[in-house]
Amino acid sequence: MHPTWATEHLQVIRTLMERSAIYRRALAPVMLLLGILGIVAGVSGWWFSVSSSRAFGWYWIAVSTVGISGAYLMVRRQSLRDAEPFWSPPTRRVTLAALPAAFIGFIVSLLILQALPQGSVEVAWLPPIWMALYGCAIHAAGFFMPRGMKLFGWLFILASCAVGGALALSWIPRSSISGHTVMGASFGGLHLLYGVYLYFTEDRKNEA
Amino acid sequence: MNPDPFLNLDRVIHEKGRMAIMSLLAATPELSFTEMRNTLNMTDGNLSVHLRTLQEAGYVAVTKTFQERRPLTTCSLTPSGRAAFANYIELLSQIVEQHRKK
Repeated sequence: MHPTWATEHLQVIRTLMERSAIYRRALAPVMLLLGILGIVAGVSGWWFSVSSSRAFGWYWIAVSTVGISGAYLMVRRQSLRDAEPFWSPPTRRVTLAALPAAFIGFIVSLLILQALPQGSVEVAWLPPIWMALYGCAIHAAGFFMPRGMKLFGWLFILASCAVGGALALSWIPRSSISGHTVMGASFGGLHLLYGVYLYFTEDRKNEA
Repeated sequence: MNPDPFLNLDRVIHEKGRMAIMSLLAATPELSFTEMRNTLNMTDGNLSVHLRTLQEAGYVAVTKTFQERRPLTTCSLTPSGRAAFANYIELLSQIVEQHRKK
């Protein structure tokens, strides 16, 4: 027998163990859903003049709740169709990894919207805070997902820095309209673009 | 015990398909039948045969439940399966070491 067979066996074992721990559900439909939802919500927020900081915050918290629920429902649908457990170990790992940043985002939003006096924080600062925390959540979950997710997380973090910098330098107006535009372009546009990319590149057998 | 680690390799695990199944299950608490089948690109029959062999050796536990009225088969390593797999990897490492020294 060739002397390297044992090394090859160990390499195969390592590769399979890594593959086993990775989240495998199709992400393209989830990303497309979140992208469309983000863009529709951005346009609706601007159209219906959701402008006070409290209304702006609660509006986008509601949108994110709908988005997260929709994403989990799509994942559940996939798991049912494939006769696989929904709350599988990889799903648990991804959820738990994303949870701390999501939790901080929720608490910070509550503090800004409820505990602090109305108008003390300009509404336009909420989107970069949410983008940064969402990027951190995605990046953490990306350790248990295909490699592109970590890059996607970084994209949100960098975009939040760019928006924050632009706000600080007054390159974009600090208004609810610009807030809705930033939310629609980032959470809507980035998800939609990544969803389209995944749609053409992702393994299709898991797709919903 | 035989001093040659190759001769001590567990013959139940030392087969391409079963080694792959054991590797997948070693990295996660449990996996469904379809997840394993899709990851390993095995046929239902092939996977069933290997799982039965591992089950008979006491290395794998198979649980059959229902999810939304659909049958769901999940597999996990038993404590003895985990120990046997750890021992198998240890022996492979010893073989690699021996070849390195030569």
